Amino acid sequence: MKMKGKIAGILALGFLIISCESDDNSVDLPKGAYDNGILITNEGAFSGGTGTINYISDDYSTMESEVYKKVNNEDLGTIVQSIGFNDDEAYIIANVSNKISIVNRNTFEKLGEITTGLNNPRYFAVSNGKGYVSNWGDTADENDDYIAIINLSSFAIEGTIPVVLGPEKLLGKNNVLYVAHSGAYGTNNKVSVINTITNELSNTIEVGDVPNSMQIEDGYLWVLASGKPSFTKDETGGVLSKINTRDYSDIVNYTFGATEHPGSLGLDDDEFYYGLGGNIYKMDIEDTELPTAAYIESISYYNMTIHDDKMYVTDAKDYASNGSISIYDLETKQLEQTFDVGLIPGGVYFN
Amino acid sequence: MMNKKYLFSALCFFTVLFSFAQKKDSVVVLDEVILTDAKLSQFSVGNKKQVLTDSVLSKTNSFTDLLRYNSTIYFKENGYGMVSSPSFRGTNAQQTAVIWNGININSQLNGQTDFNTIVTSNYNNVTVKSGGGSVQYGSGAIGGSIHLNNSFNFKEHLDNELRIGYGSFDTQSTNYKLSLGSKKLSLNLGLNYNSSNNDYKYLGTDQKNENGAYENGNVDLSLGYLISDNNILKLYQNTYLGSRDFSGTLLANSNENYKNTNVRTMLEWSNFNDKKISRLKVAHLYERYKYYANKDRPEYAFGYANSYLFNYDYKYTFSNVVLNAIIDNNYTDVIGRNIEESNRNITSVSILMQHKLTNKLKYSFNVRKDYTSDFSSPFLFVFSGAYNISKLYNVTLSASKNYRIPTFNDTYWVGAGNKDLVPETSKQVEVGNYFNLKNVRFNVIGYYTKLSEMIQWRPIAGEGWIPVNVKDVTQYGAEAEAAVTKHLGQSKLVWLTNYAYTKSIDDSNDKQLMYVPLHKITSNLAFSYKKAEAYIQLLRNDLVYTTTDNSSELPGYTVANLGMSYDVVKTAKNTTSLGLRINNLFNKEYQNTAFRPMPNRNIMVQLTTKF
Repeated sequence: MKMKGKIAGILALGFLIISCESDDNSVDLPKGAYDNGILITNEGAFSGGTGTINYISDDYSTMESEVYKKVNNEDLGTIVQSIGFNDDEAYIIANVSNKISIVNRNTFEKLGEITTGLNNPRYFAVSNGKGYVSNWGDTADENDDYIAIINLSSFAIEGTIPVVLGPEKLLGKNNVLYVAHSGAYGTNNKVSVINTITNELSNTIEVGDVPNSMQIEDGYLWVLASGKPSFTKDETGGVLSKINTRDYSDIVNYTFGATEHPGSLGLDDDEFYYGLGGNIYKMDIEDTELPTAAYIESISYYNMTIHDDKMYVTDAKDYASNGSISIYDLETKQLEQTFDVGLIPGGVYFN
Repeated sequence: MMNKKYLFSALCFFTVLFSFAQKKDSVVVLDEVILTDAKLSQFSVGNKKQVLTDSVLSKTNSFTDLLRYNSTIYFKENGYGMVSSPSFRGTNAQQTAVIWNGININSQLNGQTDFNTIVTSNYNNVTVKSGGGSVQYGSGAIGGSIHLNNSFNFKEHLDNELRIGYGSFDTQSTNYKLSLGSKKLSLNLGLNYNSSNNDYKYLGTDQKNENGAYENGNVDLSLGYLISDNNILKLYQNTYLGSRDFSGTLLANSNENYKNTNVRTMLEWSNFNDKKISRLKVAHLYERYKYYANKDRPEYAFGYANSYLFNYDYKYTFSNVVLNAIIDNNYTDVIGRNIEESNRNITSVSILMQHKLTNKLKYSFNVRKDYTSDFSSPFLFVFSGAYNISKLYNVTLSASKNYRIPTFNDTYWVGAGNKDLVPETSKQVEVGNYFNLKNVRFNVIGYYTKLSEMIQWRPIAGEGWIPVNVKDVTQYGAEAEAAVTKHLGQSKLVWLTNYAYTKSIDDSNDKQLMYVPLHKITSNLAFSYKKAEAYIQLLRNDLVYTTTDNSSELPGYTVANLGMSYDVVKTAKNTTSLGLRINNLFNKEYQNTAFRPMPNRNIMVQLTTKF
């Protein structure tokens, strides 16, 4: 017995030493089965069903589907719209189910959920130590849209900030939250600026119609708006707006053709990338004109994400079968790998 | 040149037929005129027709249940009592036509009939006709057609029937039927009211069907008047009003509500003698819906359509040949929140012919051509034949071309409607084998269908979701039906079984279409002894795929219902019976649409009195 106790003690000490050592070099060790890889959200069927999440390791050697269900043995909900992150925590938003599931982003173990206070939730961002979720509210009511404020330790909704129609993408920076208003089922052309110390609206910036993506770099907020689509019978062209974040007064607009509808503004090494008419365009941050020639031709996508010299392009196919993701090298423009993922892959995130 | 040659041949042919013309018994003609849809049997001799009458109709509470448990049709239901879409021979809901007293009543807006918005208890029979029948029944008669028929009884009589049911989930059903007649007059009136909280348990969870309550009222009237020995006037009326809260799913709650109204009126005048029947029909069909995405708010989406039908039909009988020419005009206008104010006019000309070559061999050949205001329609035909090899064995053959036209939603939806759509067309052949023994009836039908230009809503870059003629589908399979009837003293046994094997393959990826089971079996056994009856309904459904690449599926299931009834009063003037029905006897957890569970075990008691 004593002997065993000693051995156990030595072993325990050994583990302690090993774990101390590994802590020192922890940058290289995975923090969970889903670290060092890509997460893909699949919306799932709108008519009733569940969204799912795929994991692909950075070296492309492993691909797992339905990782949330695998770990937690439950479904995420209908239309998994997006994931937002707060350090190691992932906030997974199920739009139709009005639900946010919170997991550890590396292990996917569930930490909690938010099922009240949400109404058509869309995106999540963190600013000034609080979480913010854009909500369309009732889609029949154009005046009930809001941003929900989430306590990041209790996962409780602490308050709401009413905003104009159709808050969609969020961008949190220091004590400021930018809200792009794409307009929900209608259209809108605003970016709300929220002071996250007071949780009050500090500014409203007018941008192009239907702003779909934002980037912030060197004190400038860049907003890409797609313009109103032709079926609205009031078609407008896209606009890329460069906005000085000091006072939001100095706005430079780069306008596209009246029937051009760009989307998915990405930024990598001071180069912008966006999609337009089945091609990918590239524009240097210093450029003063929109590019005229495509950078990569013939790429149609459901979602396009730029990250670390790579372009991730999802294909939703017929929206009723499993989609795929293709990964391109931005430098060589070569297709590196294609994976089959879940139903309507809409978001790509990086662990 | 060719046309002239054909015309000449046709003239010769008809001249020969005329010379065979003989006198026909006028009583037979009257019987035929009284029948609502005599053409159903006369001009489609090569198609399978399954007739469901009162003994079957009274055993179910809804049109969906009736066909789910008695036919080969698969139903996709968004929760019990919610929108119910059929798949007949591997087709979709828009490729199955519902025919009310001979006219097509599929919605002008979305092209399909929601089978939970039809009350069947007042019809004298419901006939399920497998296979294409667009020549006679128009758009959507591709997989098959379901016929709701009223009939007339010109005999002195006065019959009343009251049926009251109550069951689980506060389900209530009240039905009254009146039938009265004289030598000149026939009147049938049916009144129905159904309601239910429908808040059944989602088995295997702690959830309930929270938002699934429904309520509907329905009136059917059919009135026949014999003006003279050669003239009859008929009036048909059906009004349906329904309100349903639309169920959520396992993963998302709902607060939706849907209200719809259908009003159908038809006046028909027939002039007839022993050789000819000339018939004029005018009809008005009205449909309206209001959809509340959130029933606590005042906003709703809506659509309504008015159709005006004019139909003239002339039929002449020679000795062995029946010829029928029909000219039909259908004008429809629609208004809706999301639909352009629009109208459509369709004029069609059809010629139907049945030729009895010998006592054993007959065939029919029907053709139709439509002239439509906003798209072009194909030339349609049906050839079908039946041969009595012996008293015990018949064979049939049918070949046809059928269509499904773009709906108003497809063509005129604001911002999405596609005016370049062409009708879906379907070419099909089928062969049937029918065996009739003393107590046993058995048939096996094999079919092959090629569907082209299928219309589906697809996301098109820059245009959003729009309908497009997108794919071709190959369907083939077999249907088998066996009926055993056995009388033994005062007891009677009836055993009906249907089986369908269905392949419905998307030509672009060789996969089975979504929500088409490979196998479906229904089997109903009823046993009666003196005043008591007991029956069991069994349904076995194979798995269905829920994605077009067959990457996910719903498991197959077997569900059983048990019913019994007893005549507590049985006199010449009054029959009163008490019935009990247990649905989902084995409390089976199952879904026919993904994430939308069907009810747990539930019961219904019923009192029926006829006087």
